[in-house]
Amino acid sequence: MSETTKAPTLWSSIREMPANVWHSVFRNPLPSDDYGRSSTSFTNFFLHIHPVKVNRNTLRPIYTLGLGLMSFFLFLILVVTGVLLMFYYVPSTTQAYDRMLDLRGTVAFGTFLRNMHRWSAHGMVGVVFLHMCRVFLTGSYKKPREFNWVLGVGLFLLTLFLSFTGYLLPWDQLAFWAITVGTAIAGYAPVIGQEVRFLLLGDATVGQEALLRFYVLHVAVLPLAMTLLIVLHFWRIRKDGGLSRPVEADEAETPAAPVTVSVRAVQMAKDKIYGLQGFVRGPFTKVGNTPDKTVYAWPNLIIAELFVFVLTLAVILTLSLLYDAPLEEPVSVLHPPNPAKAPWYFLGLQEMVSYSAFWGGVGIPTVFVILLLIAPYVDRAQKGVGKWFSRERLLANTIFLSFVITNIIFVIIGTFFRGANWEFVSPWK
Amino acid sequence: MAVPKATSEKGSGADAPMNRRRMLTWLSSVGLAGSAVLSAFSNFVFIKPRATYGQPQRFNIGKPEEYPSGTRISLDERRVCIVREGDKFAAISTTCTHLGCIVGIADTGFACPCHGSRFDQDGNVTGGPAPKALPWYKVSLAPNGEVEVDKDSEVEPGSYLNV
Repeated sequence: MSETTKAPTLWSSIREMPANVWHSVFRNPLPSDDYGRSSTSFTNFFLHIHPVKVNRNTLRPIYTLGLGLMSFFLFLILVVTGVLLMFYYVPSTTQAYDRMLDLRGTVAFGTFLRNMHRWSAHGMVGVVFLHMCRVFLTGSYKKPREFNWVLGVGLFLLTLFLSFTGYLLPWDQLAFWAITVGTAIAGYAPVIGQEVRFLLLGDATVGQEALLRFYVLHVAVLPLAMTLLIVLHFWRIRKDGGLSRPVEADEAETPAAPVTVSVRAVQMAKDKIYGLQGFVRGPFTKVGNTPDKTVYAWPNLIIAELFVFVLTLAVILTLSLLYDAPLEEPVSVLHPPNPAKAPWYFLGLQEMVSYSAFWGGVGIPTVFVILLLIAPYVDRAQKGVGKWFSRERLLANTIFLSFVITNIIFVIIGTFFRGANWEFVSPWK
Repeated sequence: MAVPKATSEKGSGADAPMNRRRMLTWLSSVGLAGSAVLSAFSNFVFIKPRATYGQPQRFNIGKPEEYPSGTRISLDERRVCIVREGDKFAAISTTCTHLGCIVGIADTGFACPCHGSRFDQDGNVTGGPAPKALPWYKVSLAPNGEVEVDKDSEVEPGSYLNV
């Protein structure tokens, strides 16, 4: 004791420096009791997005399948690998393809980083889509989560657009013709279509201007928009009361639970001064030690997240070791490949476009997006929230699944059953 | 963490009379929102190019003698097909009206490799998803005796230049 009260000597400062530095960065020691576990979320910037306690239902792998987190981790991988690739890439029609070859031939880990970026991008389109399916099929878009669903639809569209803009950058045949076809589809939109197409391409055809524009969109504009929406999306998960769950998941385990008081901002008395907790939505702070179905976020939630991260990274690393990202011939404006195919997730669109350019490329997708956006404001019944394929939600789920399955069928037809001149071929020959 | 009490409700209700403060609030809101809209709009004006750097829309393709009668040559870089029958010259677009792929010359006219649109010798749609016929462009004789194609002016299908 007498030592600590003494003025620190130079020697003791040096001796205690590692510990002092550590404690100045991490105020909270690794928790060993419930108080410490509660403090983790408050004292660490990177952890403070977590609640102190989370419902056990949230941690059931079979409920969320970890798809939302997976999308986020794929986005992180894409940002890191994307920034690294930017050190070598030049958005110029004369250099871009050579830089792709350099990545493959001379840059250390060049192929590997490009593989990671490519497979994460494909993976993100798929996982974000599956995440949307999970949220719909469990009825999680309902009040009070309507707006977070809308944000999610925005994130899904941004993911597609990011993937689409990135597709052009290698400047190979695959890229050039996919973008030629893709932007022509945009041109079919009524009134603004041609204008949008011209703004995207910066010219009448896909060329240097288009490459530069797609590059700027891909590395700056869209990732920033994406980051903003992700932050809002996560913030609202907390503010909307955590992940959706069935009503039973919130019930106390003992029937004789103390009365909980519900206080809402609208119920406030005029002249009373409230503390912060007075504004918290839902049940007021629980008095006493009510046994509920929540567990501490540290370590339960943290470990679950870490597991999803390691799993995601492991899958991407394995894929990148096994399969190389495609690179076709350099752009030849004169010789379109036959057939010219868009990226796989747009092949459903391209298949529909082969019947009618307007309806397949613009009309039906627009109707689908509008339906997605208004779904939580139309389908407002509160039954069946928090359960997969709930019987009460049979109609909504059937409509949604029929859209999804139709699109998947079109993607499969476009991918495997279309050959030269977009004629029907059999993949088994 | 005390929360300030709500201030007096006077003057903030929907049916309250317009006073100076409300008037100023309203005017500055309109001003701020208007500036935001204007700057968003000016960004669009900025990114819309006034000059493009691609190929010129009007170009010479050489002397008429270089194209013997019966020629159907697709100038892929220019995205036109030059047709000469006897003394008559025409230029038909080879950009598919469906989704912008380059159509190839086929026995029956033109065929698009991307989505299977087919056109006859004059560019009329005979099959596939293309919504309209391939346009014909104005062909004229330049002062230096070369044939000039102007992709900015479309002409009626079947209008030829006689040389």
